[in-house]
Parts: sequence; structure tokens; C-alpha cells
Amino acid sequence: MAENDAPAAPAEAPQRPQIPGVIAPPAPDLKWMNAATERPPRVRELGPEGFTLAMADYGSYGLAPDIWPYENDTPRGAVPARDRGLPAPYTIYDKLDVWAESCAELYEAAIREQWKPATEISWSGIEPLAEHVEASLDQIYSNISEQAYNSNAVLLGWLQYISYGFHEVKLYLATQSFDHARHVEAFRKRALANGGGLGVQSPGFFNRTVFASFKFTEFVIYNNIIRTTFLLGLCEFGQEKLARSQADRQLFENTANDLRRHLVYGVEHLRYYGLQAGEQKRRNIRTWLDRGEVMLAADLKRDKPFREAVILASGDTVAAGKEALKDLRQRQFKRYIGALEAAAYRGREAHMVPTLKEMIETP
Amino acid sequence: MAVSQEMLAELRSEGEDLDLSWLDAPAAERGLRIAPGKRGLTLEEISTGTYGDIPMQSRNQSGRMRGAAPRGDAQQTQQMWPFRSSSWSQSAMLLYEEAVQRQWSSATDVPWAELPDLPEDLEYAMSQLCTFLTQVEFIAGDVPGQYAPNVSGEFFEVGLFLASQIMDEARHLDVFRKRALVNGIGLLQAGPGAVNLLTAQDFTEMASTLHLVGEGFVQSLFRMGEMFAQTEVDKRMFRLAAQDESRHVAFGVMHMKYVMETEPERRDEIHCYLDRMEGLLGAGSAQAGLTGGGETTEALAILLGGGSTEAQINEGYMKLMAIRKRQVNEYMHRLDVVGLGDRRQKMHPMMQMLLDPSKN
Ligand SMILES: [Fe+2]
Ligand SMILES: [Fe+2]
Repeated sequence: MAENDAPAAPAEAPQRPQIPGVIAPPAPDLKWMNAATERPPRVRELGPEGFTLAMADYGSYGLAPDIWPYENDTPRGAVPARDRGLPAPYTIYDKLDVWAESCAELYEAAIREQWKPATEISWSGIEPLAEHVEASLDQIYSNISEQAYNSNAVLLGWLQYISYGFHEVKLYLATQSFDHARHVEAFRKRALANGGGLGVQSPGFFNRTVFASFKFTEFVIYNNIIRTTFLLGLCEFGQEKLARSQADRQLFENTANDLRRHLVYGVEHLRYYGLQAGEQKRRNIRTWLDRGEVMLAADLKRDKPFREAVILASGDTVAAGKEALKDLRQRQFKRYIGALEAAAYRGREAHMVPTLKEMIETP
Repeated sequence: MAVSQEMLAELRSEGEDLDLSWLDAPAAERGLRIAPGKRGLTLEEISTGTYGDIPMQSRNQSGRMRGAAPRGDAQQTQQMWPFRSSSWSQSAMLLYEEAVQRQWSSATDVPWAELPDLPEDLEYAMSQLCTFLTQVEFIAGDVPGQYAPNVSGEFFEVGLFLASQIMDEARHLDVFRKRALVNGIGLLQAGPGAVNLLTAQDFTEMASTLHLVGEGFVQSLFRMGEMFAQTEVDKRMFRLAAQDESRHVAFGVMHMKYVMETEPERRDEIHCYLDRMEGLLGAGSAQAGLTGGGETTEALAILLGGGSTEAQINEGYMKLMAIRKRQVNEYMHRLDVVGLGDRRQKMHPMMQMLLDPSKN
């Protein structure tokens, strides 16, 4: 992508149509018609998934460089302007800080799989439940809604730092935040729909940890690996052990489906970072995992309403509920360790921080 | 409505270590039973009882969502805006729900396979226009994104709307990129772009510069897509994008209207933001002249005139003036709606010239 260095056409006296009081445009120079960019093949045939981003980004258009060279909003594959104007607030120019191989596919998949909480959940079919069961479900739904709002707010704040040239990453992240937004409202709606209301807020250790991420990969570890695996474990558990209605099942199932996409992004990004970062940066991963686990454990330990809600909502007796809570923690743990292994980060089980281990073994 | 004492006693006898105070004396309102309405179960419907009390001011700096029971040990972040007027828009709930219902796919909702071959100059012009659009569209995502961390759970509907706008802008970057790449031409010349919009230091400044001016002008342009779109495929693309832009503009208009009603002392301040956007501070502004840089204007003239001969380009420029006129008049209309009708006298002279006479 060479800069377009052709000399600017000399300014000419206005000779375009005159509108009283309006400056006429200069004579066209049409230099842009010779822009030195790649000519992709004309697209004529499309599969059932239509004209996808991966298809459109043919040849050099699809190649995200290791370091993005432009500081403004130059789209990848266009000739940058000679006068590029104000550099943007972007701070992330290294591909390894944001990249995941299948961003373009995840972006299209997210759009195909978007669901509409207002109209696609069987709200009318929810039957009244015993007070303590409804209240327990609502406590769990409040927690999911709150976490999703935190994810949405923090993720959106990161967009301003990611270079324009990594457009598939930005596009994918936009879908993830829209998923978070729908999780916020969907679970809030469920908590208010059936004679209940919202529960108690979470202790917030993890929320503030997500907020306090200094690096994007750090955010991804907290949000797309730790939080997502624990939420995914909860949704999978919820489908089997918590759901009392078709609406409940749909909520857990649809959310789990979204979370699996978020997890793919997290796993792929962590793997890429782990492989591409040098020794120094690679050590960050352990620091971030330690920090995330400690903060998660602090939430789990102090969140009595949540724990008791799981016990009351998932067993016919308190004893059975306690067993179910253990089962939930095991599922979450397996999801978490499985994700790290998929990201080629092995052996975490032996190095997990003791407080989180404790919360999983004796919840 | 709390759980009966018998049930609590029974649960406590089963599990002696259970606390259950959250169940015994819930601190959040309970007993709501909200059924879906005509448009499903919407945010407006669940915004009821105490859950519908949107505070004018809030000290909630934790992650607590509006209406949820607080915890004494919840941690604070001190980065949420405490005032409702900082970000609130009366239409946030409605527009968010509409956004969810009206999502579309650039991969399958635009009939790409039906795109006919056009004369080369028109294809080049379309690719140039789409290069400009793909450049600026996601700036309209980065800009609102930067404020999402400041919107507390008390005003969460604003946060949700912002997510929907950013989703829309992703699709816009993407659909125009695809349009530039589908026809065998590719992307062409980038312009100076829209990074200036990221300098907004205040949400209302953003609503003034991005929503009211920037996206407002783009919305008018897309709505006149019939004039420069050469094919049914392109017409559909601009129609779909215009629908999304209408929501973004409406959000900003309703935010500004709210600010003008509740904080009228901000009038002069807002005029300053508009001065800047209109180019009155001396720096060049895309809005006062022709949208985008020189190359995009030329591309639009070719598309509007139907070709690149001198006569066609001249005709294109004449039509472009009609588009500018409509952009400026629709801008004035938005200003009237938000309560800034006095902008008519303060507007950049180049834009003022295009204004229709005031109706009052
Ligand atoms: Fe847009
Ligand atoms: Fe927009």
C-alpha cells in the first residue's frame, strides 16, 4: 500500500455550476480512480451464508499486519490520505494484543445467531413458583444481569484504543458487547416477570477487577476466559438443574450459545498471545490468572445470597441443593481449566490460587 | 412480598448454616408480575414500580443495577456519572428494543448476487464513496464506546442503547467495505476521516457533534440514497443503513432535548460545540462544505450525474446541492425539536444560505 504520491492538481478557477452565494466545487481531478490498491475478483457466487466478511476481505484486504501502521481511521487496504489529520487515541497497534484467528467468522456467526429477548422467549408460559424458588432464581438472574452489564460497559470502553486496521476484531467485539447488552435485559426481564424482583448485588470484586484491566489481553482473560467459563458453567447447569419453564431454558440455552462464541475469541486470543509474545510478556498471563482467580474467589466466598439461591433453587432438599452447588462449581472449574488448555496454557490446575480451589472444593 | 416464616423455618431446620436474610427481608421490591405486551416483554414494560424510578442523581458507584438490593461492602469505582442528565435520553428504551428487532445482516439481507455490472466509472465512484463510509462508520462506534464505562447501572438503558448503536456501526463499516470489494474494484483513496469526533469530552458534546450533526447529515444522505444508488442492491443497502441511523440520531435528539429542558443554562455551551462542527472556529469542517473530502464529493457527483463526462459531473453537482440543502434543513429541524431554534441566526453562513425560510 504505497502512499498516493501523485502531485495535487493545480487549483483552478471555479467553473462548476453556480448557485448564488455557494462556492462552486473545483474541477474534478479523479486521481482516486487510479488509487494503487488491490483489485479483488468480482464476486458472483455466494453460499448459504451470503457474502461474509472473510469472503469480502480477499487477498491483501484480509491480511492484518503484525503492527498496524496508521494512527487514524484509514481502512485496511485503502490508500491513506496525504493529510491524515488528527491521530486517533488508539494505543493498540500490535496484532498480538487483540488478535484471534476467527474474528471474521465469529462476527458473522454472532449476527446469524442473534436472538431477541423481548419476543423470542416464551414469557407467557412461565408458571407461578413457590416463593423461595422464584426468589432464588431471581437472585441468580440478577447476578447474571449485573455481570453482563459490567462486561458491556468495560468492553465498549476498550474500542477507542484498538487501531482501526484490526477491523475484524472491532467488529467482533461489537457483537460481543451487543450480546452482553441482551443478557443484561433478558435476565432482568425474567427476574421481574414472575412475581419476583431483583436480588442483592454482587460483592463486586470481579467487577472492579474487569474495570481495572490495564491491558486488553488482561481484560480478555478476566472477561472472556474466567467470567465466561464460570457463567457458561452456570448456564449449562441452569438448563438442567435450575430452569422451571421453557423461558428459563431458552434464556440459559441462548446465553450459553453466545458465551461459547465469547469463549472461542478468548481462547484463540490467549493462544495467539501466548505463542507470539516473548518470554517477558508471556509471564503476564500467570499474573493475570492469579489476580483474576483471587478476585473471583473473593466474590464467590462473600456472595452468600447467590450460594444460598443455588442451593434452594436446585434441590428438593437443602442437602440435595448443597450437592448441586458442588456440581455447579465442578462444571465451572472444568470449563475454566478446559479453556486454558485449549489456549495451550497447561497445568493451571496445579497452580490455581488456593482461595479459588477452596471455593470449588468446598463451596 | 417475602417468603413465609414457616418456609424459612423449614429451610433453616434443614440447613442450619443457612443465613437466608436476603430471603427473609428482601431489600428490593418484589411481587411484580409483568406480562409481555404487543411488542413482547420490553424494557419499557419492566420499567415499573421502583424499577422505573430513574433517579435525577445517584451515589451508586458500584456495579449495582437500578432496583437491586445494595450491599454495605460493595466497592466503589468513582467513575460513573452521578447525574441523570449526563447521559439520559427518554427514548433509550424504545430505541434499544427497536434496534434489537430490526437487526439485519450485511451477508444475507443485501442481495449481492443480483448486483449488475455497471460502467466502470460508476463502479469506481461507488467504491470511492464506500471507502469514505467504511472509514468513518466505526468512528461512530468508538465515540459512544468511550462513555459506556461512565454510565452506571441506574441508567443502564443508556448503556444498552450504546451497545446497539455500536453493533449497528460495525455492520455499517462492514456493509460498505463489502460493497467496495464486491465489484472487483476494492477500496480506493482514504480521506482525512472523522477522528475529530473522538475529541468530545462530554456526553452532551457527543450528542451535539456526533448524533445531531455527523450522523444527522449521514442519515439525510442515506435517505436520499435513491438518487445516487445505481442498483436495487445499493438502494437496499442505503435504506437499511438509514433505518439504523435514524435511531442513533433520535437518541441524540432526545438526549439534547432533555438537557435543554432540564439544564437550559447549557445553551451557549452547546452552541459552541455546534460552532466547531459547522466550521465556525476557522478549521475546515466536512459538514459546512461537502460531506467527506474532495474525492468523495467527486464520486458522489459522478453517481448523481450518472457518469463522468463533464456534463454528467456538472449535473451531479447540481443534485449534490439539493442533497446539501436537505441535509441542512433536516439539521435545522432537529435543532428546532431540541429547543435550539436560535441556531438559525448563528449557523455557519455557508449552511445558512441553504436554509428554507422559517415557518414561524
Ligand atoms: Fe452508521
Ligand atoms: Fe450511526
